[in-house]
This record gives sequence, structure tokens and C-alpha cells, in this order.
Amino acid sequence: MTEVVATNQTIVVVGGGISGMTAALEAAECGKQVILLEKNPALGGRVSQMYKYFPKMCHPTCGMEINLRRIKANSNIRVMTMAEVTNVSGDTGDYTLNVTVQPRYVNENCTACGACRDAVETEFDNEFNYGLNKRKGAYLTSNMAYPQRYVIDPRMIGTADADKAKAACKYDAVDLDMQAEDLEIKAGSIVWATGWRPFDAAKIQPYGYDRIANVITSVELERMMDPMGPTGGKILRPSDGKEAKDIAFIQCAGSRDRNYLKHCSRICCMASLKQTTYLREKYGDDGKATVYYIDIRAIDRFEDFYQKVQADDNVSFIKSKVASVTEDKATGNPVLNGNNLEQSGMGKDMRYANPHELVVLAVGMEPSVDFNALNVGLSVNEEGFIERDPGNGGMFAAGCAADALDVNRAVQSATASSLRAIQVVNQVAGAEG
Amino acid sequence: MAAVKKIGAYICKGCGLDDRLDCGQLETVATREGKASPCKSHDFLCSQAGVDMIAEDIKSEELTHVVIAACSRRAKTEAFNFETVAISRANLREGVIWVRPDTDEARETTQEMADDYVRMACAEAKFTTQPPGNTEDKTACRHLLVVGGGITGMTAALEAAKAGYAATIVEKSAQLGGVVGQLSKRIATTAPFTELPDNGVAAMAAEIAANDKITVHLNSTVTRTSGAPGRFAADISTESGSTVTENFGAIVQASGFKPYDMGQLSEFNPDNADVVDQMGLEALVKEANGGAIKRPSDGKEIRSVAFIQCAGQRSQKEGHLSYCSGHCCQTSIKQAMYFKQLDSDIDAVVMFTDLRTPGAGGENFYRAGQDSGVTFTKSVASEISAGDSGPKVKFDDLLLNENVEQEFDLVVLATGMVPNSGVDIEAEAAAPAEGEAADSDVVASVPVESILNLDYRQGADVPQLVHGFTDSHFICFPYETRRTGIYTAGPVRRPMDAVQAMDDAAGAAMKAIQAIENANLGRAAHPRSGDLSYPLFRKEGCTQCKRCTVECPFGAINEDEDRYPEFNEERCRRCGTCMGACPVRVISFDNYSIDTVGQALKAVDIPDEFDEKPRTLVLACENDAYPALDMAAMNRVEYSAFTRIIPVRCLGSVNTIWLTDALNSGYDGIILMGCKKGEEYQCHFVKGSEIAHIRMSKIDDTLQQLNLETERVEVYEIAITDVERAPKLINDMAETIEKIGMSPFKF
Amino acid sequence: MSNTAMVEKYRSNFLKEVAENVEEGEWVRMCMQCGVCSGSCPMGPHWEHPPQELFMMIRANKREEVLSSSSMWMCTSCYNCIARCPRELPITHIMHGLAHYAKRLGLAPKENPTNKFSQRFWDNLTKTGRVNELKLGLSLYFMNGFVEGIKTALKMKDVGMGMLKTGRMNPLEILGGHGVKDKSGFQAMLKKAQELEAARVDK
Repeated sequence: MTEVVATNQTIVVVGGGISGMTAALEAAECGKQVILLEKNPALGGRVSQMYKYFPKMCHPTCGMEINLRRIKANSNIRVMTMAEVTNVSGDTGDYTLNVTVQPRYVNENCTACGACRDAVETEFDNEFNYGLNKRKGAYLTSNMAYPQRYVIDPRMIGTADADKAKAACKYDAVDLDMQAEDLEIKAGSIVWATGWRPFDAAKIQPYGYDRIANVITSVELERMMDPMGPTGGKILRPSDGKEAKDIAFIQCAGSRDRNYLKHCSRICCMASLKQTTYLREKYGDDGKATVYYIDIRAIDRFEDFYQKVQADDNVSFIKSKVASVTEDKATGNPVLNGNNLEQSGMGKDMRYANPHELVVLAVGMEPSVDFNALNVGLSVNEEGFIERDPGNGGMFAAGCAADALDVNRAVQSATASSLRAIQVVNQVAGAEG
Repeated sequence: MAAVKKIGAYICKGCGLDDRLDCGQLETVATREGKASPCKSHDFLCSQAGVDMIAEDIKSEELTHVVIAACSRRAKTEAFNFETVAISRANLREGVIWVRPDTDEARETTQEMADDYVRMACAEAKFTTQPPGNTEDKTACRHLLVVGGGITGMTAALEAAKAGYAATIVEKSAQLGGVVGQLSKRIATTAPFTELPDNGVAAMAAEIAANDKITVHLNSTVTRTSGAPGRFAADISTESGSTVTENFGAIVQASGFKPYDMGQLSEFNPDNADVVDQMGLEALVKEANGGAIKRPSDGKEIRSVAFIQCAGQRSQKEGHLSYCSGHCCQTSIKQAMYFKQLDSDIDAVVMFTDLRTPGAGGENFYRAGQDSGVTFTKSVASEISAGDSGPKVKFDDLLLNENVEQEFDLVVLATGMVPNSGVDIEAEAAAPAEGEAADSDVVASVPVESILNLDYRQGADVPQLVHGFTDSHFICFPYETRRTGIYTAGPVRRPMDAVQAMDDAAGAAMKAIQAIENANLGRAAHPRSGDLSYPLFRKEGCTQCKRCTVECPFGAINEDEDRYPEFNEERCRRCGTCMGACPVRVISFDNYSIDTVGQALKAVDIPDEFDEKPRTLVLACENDAYPALDMAAMNRVEYSAFTRIIPVRCLGSVNTIWLTDALNSGYDGIILMGCKKGEEYQCHFVKGSEIAHIRMSKIDDTLQQLNLETERVEVYEIAITDVERAPKLINDMAETIEKIGMSPFKF
Repeated sequence: MSNTAMVEKYRSNFLKEVAENVEEGEWVRMCMQCGVCSGSCPMGPHWEHPPQELFMMIRANKREEVLSSSSMWMCTSCYNCIARCPRELPITHIMHGLAHYAKRLGLAPKENPTNKFSQRFWDNLTKTGRVNELKLGLSLYFMNGFVEGIKTALKMKDVGMGMLKTGRMNPLEILGGHGVKDKSGFQAMLKKAQELEAARVDK
């Protein structure tokens, strides 16, 4: 049984992405006791699946490394992975969380030597790469995975392959009898840093994500660009594995649309602008990007980045929400259909049917947790994000649990929520003397 | 500290180390050459049994230093966590066996690699000391200075007070509230979005007045700031000239913005009384006091109003702002709603190119504006002139593709935000030498008044990033600017609206509080969080060359009256740039010094020139290059067995003596791997990598003096994702050496 | 209200005029000019002004151009635009509303086939309370003159014979055809409805 030491002066942070890691670290580096819960086998969240950040074009792993080093160096933080909150009871300064910890089937003995991975043969869709490739049934989510400890896929349990993994481990780290555990954890304050998930592109029927091979999502393109990703850093068309050099970006794929997500997801304009630069990075003058948009929302100094991209002759902008995507069967090229609003006007028809080698849907952000269903007394807005509300008591939202935010704003939000959590536990400490 | 050093060495045989290496020989190396005693091997060192064995020895043998020869220092940190001793790690797994082929031919060179890493770890241990941290019982001042009494500053003070910390607000004007205090209403951020909330300043001011943890100085400015986190001293002066000096633990700078001067937009007829900026409209609305809004020229009730977005913004024109101020679209929607809510028959047109209302609330607010009957026209206004009935706007309708002229009763220009960030210290430093004079009277030619008046060697205000904003350059670390313990928040940091500014204030207050707690314990702030070491300075050797004071990226080093460097350890981020800068090597850290690296590189066994076994030294930044090499190893990317890698805190900490020593010891090549420098720098210590590149540009002279080829030393920018490239660069050096031959300096 | 009365009443605020007088016209202000309606309209290439452009023209006070346009008469009610509109605008209904409003004010393009057909359908229907399909068909054939009518009739003769054979068309309808039982009651009903509508519009 996992032992967890927690009191009503403990801060529990739910979610181990960049917001959660930040919230946990800021509090812990202020001397507070923090428990960081993560549903997945490793910390890092969505940003660990990104190739580069806008507008600086730096690598998310770089900040991850720093944050992981901070976590490793700080004894105030207890990290629990594969842990999910099922219920919260109590009130400000005195919460009890019910947490279910799923079995990893690998214990602390693991040295991440990889012998189990080499021993097994079964493969599964690699969720870290949005299913763009396969991974073994014994795996490390990525080379940056923390804890640096392997996982046995639960679908392996009971198979001969799982026994092979166990046999391959010299350190008695594979424990196939591991069971799910239900824990109760005390907390004075809770920070919800549960983040976002990409909107399910298949729901946008006219764009054909589920029918047309060469229609992919923005998050998938990020994985393709990763030199350690599923395509080894190449932008390959799913239909024929050829490099795509003429790419269309469809903005508001799901966002700003009452049929899907009513809100603007904020980041997608910048994400696509960033991704247009990938083409230049890969192909120089041979790459061609076309962005189909309603409004380009590059606020504050992101605007500088937008102007830089605009100055690139190989990037063009078409003011138009794309009506539909069809497929040219002969070439596999998706064809975008719509009306170019800026070029038309007063009777001049500017309908287009533009073929491109690949289409990237700039998918929106939606909260990854349905807080209404979780039913722990949080005030939730129409879009599903947690609202700032005194009624939330000692619970605070950090990052994309609060709104659709870019990384910088998410971290800022997490830092703020960390202070609010500290306020609660300091009041508890004060009251208890 | 303990006078007697006692080093224990522990060699792991797990993860295939025992299969690939002669661990017995490693023990011999550690014992004989490394002088480690005890020295033990273990089949599975990170297991509970292994860890217990080490812990037992630490106690019974009274060890002060432990050498762990196993995996990378980035792995198994929970297991190898012994707080009382200094730990050095020999990276035999990621650094040796995972990057070498498992072949008979490779066995010998692989073993040599491992032997050397054990030697190096022992040498490092010999010259390192576990830093004691803050041993004096000094208590940091748990009191925040908040500069600026606008909504950001007020929020920072209130949030800090709620966490139990006192705060003092210094406000230049006669009342709290700043720009938001002049607004009639605020943008709605929750449903119902058509209901515009009050500006909220009065309620906050009342809360502040009632809070005994918060002090307010009105009509006051900060005329001098000295000290460091935990012990700042600030002179707070009133207009009348009286000054009080108070102590603070940390500072939140919330000095806000001023609206861009619309007078500069001559094409928009700024002298026309009926052309106003957004603040001008707020004043008209306040004046109307709930009644009809009247235009300034003749007091006529306004029946039609146009809002011109991006006025003097998002533009490369001379004198314009290139950036977007972010809030103006929503502000114009709000202001158009003022009119629509008075009378829905008033025409309110917003002329925009991109309507920017991001996030969940933003789009709702846009819809609320449309629902209120505000008209949105995607268009570019090019000119305003005096019309018959009011200002006449000439604009291109971008959707209907036509040129239009239309008269309105009033035109509102959505101009941008200009940050109040004080003195641009970098521009000042670049200016003629006179600017260096500390006396502010002499610098009368600089029109900008300083906000903080820091007595720092490197300038009176915090460094600016771009366009005058003081934002951090790091995406992941928005508050990591270059003055420890001083955090800027609100529109001085980045263009932002009131709601964001209030959240930002809480974040900055958090960092300020943390800075106090760090100072209290003698701990470093990000990115070497928790590091208890600090620069040790041997004054006797100092030649007063000033390199350390000039180069410190964090302005941590002042000069004392005798012109010696004065280290403010609470400001220090422990990057070691000062150590790298010092030509006489009088600066070091307990756990990172000229010797810990210098002795480690000298401990490497340099084979005879005729052995055909060259040696390449790699000094790799611990933040990006070293992890990249680790991950290359995880992918089993092979590189030359003649490589010896030493992680450094930052390339800025690399002292040229290390290179000279290495060349003199007979290394054949040296590679420095740091982070990206320049405008889009990735260096975690801002300037470290850049400074290193400058220093190394001069290394060619040294090489020529030694009669060595310049190709023997290379400096590279390495990203953490350079998993393929970093090993390739190492192999390239191996090839180069093969081409130009071995170093003649092997003795 | 007459056209001139409307111009007088709303002066330069056509958006408001549309909101108050056109079916679902109050939605026009909610358009965010994304263009997905025009892009997804199957009749797209045949419009002079696609829906989002009409909305923009309404905002820009292009009253004459909008009301005399044939564009909204092109709508075939496929509802693609409504399904796709991210702002939930009932575009199909607005199109018909605009056409209807233009017709009411006498501004609808006289030669527009949809307009002509609609008028003939109405005239045919209101006579007896039932549609006389034969007469309606013939009036359509001869809509553009006698020679055109003969040509069209000849072209369609196979279809016509087929319909006759299967009892889908009754040649006797040429004599007047059937009607509702209480014709005068029906006419009174129509008159009352027109009065009510006129009163509503004039209010």
C-alpha cells in the first residue's frame, strides 16, 4: 500500500503538465508541502509533445529539463503518477481527495535499462505520438519521462509477453500482480491544473479528418517535427509517406463555432504561424504555406512574430473559413473549398477549390476534465473552464483548466494559483498556531 | 567546514556495466588514484540495499564525499540523495556503455573511458565542499515593496497580505487606482457579458485601507533602492521632498503604462476636438455621468461614433508601435456598448483588421457587442479630416472592397500601451561614457525618470526585453527576469488587460514571497533552485579588472568604495559567469570551482602521442547539451571513445584557464557546448553563452602561441533536442584530429 | 408602409430596418464574416452577393443594392449555410425574409425567374384555393413569350404525356379545375391575413 503523508497544510496539485509542475514547484520552493498528481505515467503533459514554442521557436524539453531538475532537487514535492482524483470532500483548509492509482506493473527498482522493452514483442498505438506510430507493450513514454521508469501496458497482463518482460528484468522491478489502489489524501488547498485536450477533429465532418488521409491535426504535425518522433522529424503525408511541401492550415478547426467549441482557443493562430516556419526550416524556399483564417489573433508582441511570417513570400493568408475539404483521388491531395472574402466583395466571386499536399487543422483546446461530471463543487463556465469564484473555496484553477491559454500565460496563471493555495494553507497554519 | 575530507566511492555493476566493463579495475582506479576509501561495488547500487550500504558507510566511516560511478547524474536522483555529503557522479551508463558498441575491439577504449570518468569524479570530489547555506541566523525581511498603486500594484499588495506578508505601496499620484480608476466600466469577463462591471477600484482601495498589513505612500516615488532579496532598502520620497528609508524583502514593480501619444498620428487629425483616444472617451463618459455622452467640440449629443482599431499600432511606420496592445479590441467593444446601452439607435462602428478577443470570455464579449448592435467593419482607416457635421473618416472596406468616406460625431482612436519601465539601462550602457556617472544630475540628458533608482552597478532599473517591456524572455518562466527579488507585473511587463494584470500581480507576488524565503535560507532562485553555494571571493588576488561586475547577467556584483567587487549573494543565481570571467581566478563556489573542473580534466589519463588515442574534452552546459547527450545515449547513438565530457553550469562559467590547462595537458581537441545566444537567446543565464562565445573568440591567440591549430577548439550552440547533432559534432572533432594529427603537448 | 416611408423612418440605419422588418433579420448583426455560408452554398457561383456579403452590405447601408439584388432569390433552401454557420444565423430564413421584404416594398427584380414564378404560383393559388397545376405549368411555359412557350412545351411533351397516362395531370383542369368548397370564405381569410400583416408591418 502506497503511503502518503499529507495534512491540511498540504497543497495538492492535480495535473503534472507545465501548469501543474509550475504550481507545485513555486509552492514547494516557498517551503510548502506539495503532492503532485498526474494521470499519465510521466510528467510533462501536452507541452512535452510539442516540437517548438512560439514565438521564440525554442524547445519545450529545455524548460522541462529545468523543471524536472527543480522537482528532483526539492524534497517538499511528492510526485504520484498514474493517479486520478475521483472525488473531493471537505472544505477550504480541510479537504479529502479520493485518488485512484493505476498499476504501472513496474516498481521503484526500475533502472530504465530497457531490458523489458527489448524482451516484449506486442505493440500498441503510441498515444504520446497521437497514434502516428506504435510502441512496445513495455515502454517509457519518452526520453524525458519522469519518473524515469518503465510501464507495462495493462493490456499485456496475463499474456506470455508480460512474463517475458518480467523474466528480462534483473532487478525484480516488473510486478505483474500490482493492483489499482484507492487512496485518501488530505489537503488544505487544491490546485486544478488538469489542462486541455485537442478538440476531436473527426467531429468537424466537412473537413474530412476521418476520411481523407492527408488531413492531419496541428498536434500531430508537432509530433512529426520531433526528431525523436514517429517520422524522425519529417513532415510525411500519411497517404503515401512523401514529404509534404505545400501545406494548408485551417484555422478555427472547432473553435469559435457553436457547432463545436464556442470559444476562441487563443493559441491556434500562433501555433499555425509557428508551423509555417517549420516549412522554411525543412525546405527553405521550396516550402509553401497557406493559412485560411477568420481573424489572426496574434496579440501583444506575438504580433512581431506575425509580421515576420507575413513578410515571408512563401506564406500566404486567405481570409476565409474553409467550407469543406474534398480529396483529389488521383494525387491524394486534399482540396479546400470556400470563398476568399478579401479578394471578393461587391459581386466579384472569389470562390476557390485549392489543392494542397497536406492540410493541417488548427484544432481548438477544450478542458481535459469535465468538471461538471466530476462534481466537486467547482464553478464552471459554459465553455467548461473553471471560473474564478469565491464559492470554489480553497480550490483554484491553473493554466488551461482556467481558460484557453498559451504556455507563457498558463505558467503565469499557475504561479498565481500557487500563491492562492499558499494563502489557504498559511491561514490554516496561522489558525493552528 | 569539516577539515577532514573523506571520500567513499561506489561502483554500480548493474544495467550491463559489469558485462561491459571491468568493475574491479574501476575499483582499483578509485582507490589508488582517486584515494577513495572505502570503495565498493554493488550489483544494483540504486536498490534499497545499495543505497543502505552507502548510507551506512556515510555514518560509520564519517564520509564527507561520495563518488557514485553508475548512471547519469540526471538519473536515479531519488535513490542517490544523501543530504549530508557532497556527491559527484561518474556517468558510466549514459556516458560510456550506451554510446559505445559492444564489440571486442571497442572494449579497451570503452574501459579507458570509464576509468577516466571515475578519476574525474574522484578529482571533483577532492576539490568540492558541501555548501553550508545560510548558517548565520539572519532573518529576511518579510515585507514587500510594491511600486505603483494601480490595479496591478493594489492586487499584488492584497494577495501578499492574504498570504501573511506585509506590503507597502508607493504611488506617484495622489490616489490609488491608476488607469483602471479612470475607467467608467470594465470589460465583462463572465456571463452575462452585456453587463459591464464597475472598475472596482473603490472597493479595493477600501480593502487596502482596512488591511493593517498594507501601508500606502501617495504622491511618492522610490528615489533609491539598494541591497538584495531579503534586505532591500528603499528611499521613499514625497513630492515635498521628505524621504523615509524602509527595509523590504522583495519588490514588485507595477509601474503600468501610459497611452501612446495620439498627437503623433497626424493623419488622424489629432487636433480635432472630436477625435479622442480610448482614455479620452472614458473621460467623456464619466463627465456624462449616466446621461447622454456629448462631444467635446460643441457639446452635441453623440449619435454616431467610430472606433479605429490599431491606431498607431501593429505598424512598422516610424514612431508607431509595432506590437499589438491586446486589450484594445475588447476595450472598443466595451466603449461602443456604452453608447448602445444608452440608446440602441446610436451608430457605433468598430473598424478593425483582425478582431482580437481571444480565450473563452473574449469571444463571448465579442458576441455581446454584436448583440448590442455594435457594427464591425473589417477596414483600414487612412485619414480623418474635418467634415461638415463632424470628423470625416476615410477608410477602405476590406470586405466590400471599396473606399468610403463617412462622417461621425466622434471618432475614438484605439492607441496602444507604452510601458513605464524607467531607464533603458542597456541603451544607457551603450551610450557615451558619461552615462555611467552614478549621479543622476549629470545624466540630465536622459529624459526618462527611473522607477526604482537601483544603486546596482549595472543600472538604475530592471533590464527591458523588447519595446520597453520588462518581460522575461523565457516562455516557461515568465517571471525569470534578470534582477533576483524584483518582479515586474502588469502592462509594464507585457501589454495586457486589467484581468490579466491582476492575475499577473498574484504571480509576481508569489515570486517575491519566494525570493524572501530563498534569501532566508541562502538558497538560489531558478534555474539552480535550492543551490546553497554562492561565490567565494579571494580579495587579496583581485586586480580590480571589473570583468565580473560587468559581466554578471543578474547585476549581483556591485563595487565597494575601494573598487573591489562586492558580491550580493542573495541576488546571485549561481551561474558562475563571474568565475569564468576572472583572469586571476579568485572567484569560486564551494561545489563548483576552477579546481573542481580543472582537476577533473587534468585527472584524465592522456596516452602517449604514439598511442593513436587522442583525447577530446567536452564542456557541456548542464541545462541543454548534457541532457541532449544523455538522450542520445538512450537512443544508443554512438560517439568517439576518446571523448571526456564535463558538465558545466553555463558556458559563461568556463574560465579560459581550463582550456589552457587542457591544451597543456595534451588534449587534442576541445568542444564547448552551450545554449543559443543572441537575440533569441536560450541561455538560462541570459548572457552566459554569449559571453563565452566572445571569450572564446580570443582563444585563437592562445592556440597560436602554443603553435596549435585553431580547429582544435570549437564552440557550438546546442539545443536539448540536438540528440543526433551533438554526438555528430563530437565525431567531427575526432575526424579533425585524425586529419591534423595529435597534439604535441603530451608528456 | 411604402418604400419611401421606410427610407424616411430608418434613414441611414438599414441594419435596424432589416432587424425590425425582415424575418430573422435581427440575426444579421451577429455575423462575424467568416464566409463559410458562401463557401458551402451549392448555388454559390450563381449569386451576385453571397449571404455574408449581403450582411456586410446591410451594415454598410447599401439598401438599394441589397433589396434590388437577385441574390437572395437564388436560395434553394438546402440549409447547408444554417448547418455550417458558426454563429447560428438562420441564413436560409434571412434570405427568404429579405426576398419577401424586397417584394413587399416593390423593389424585387421584376425579371428574376424565382420572383416571377412565385408571383404566378400565388396568383394561381389564390384564385380557387387550390393550385391548378396545368395552368401554372402553362403560364410558366409562356412566361417569356409565345414562341418560347411553344418550344418549351414541345421539349417537355414526353414528360407531359407520361404524366397524363399515369393520371398525374388532368387535362380538364384547363377549364377551371377544382377549388376549395367555400371560395369566398377563403378569399376573406386571405384578405384578413393581409390586413393583419399590413397592420403589423406598419406598426
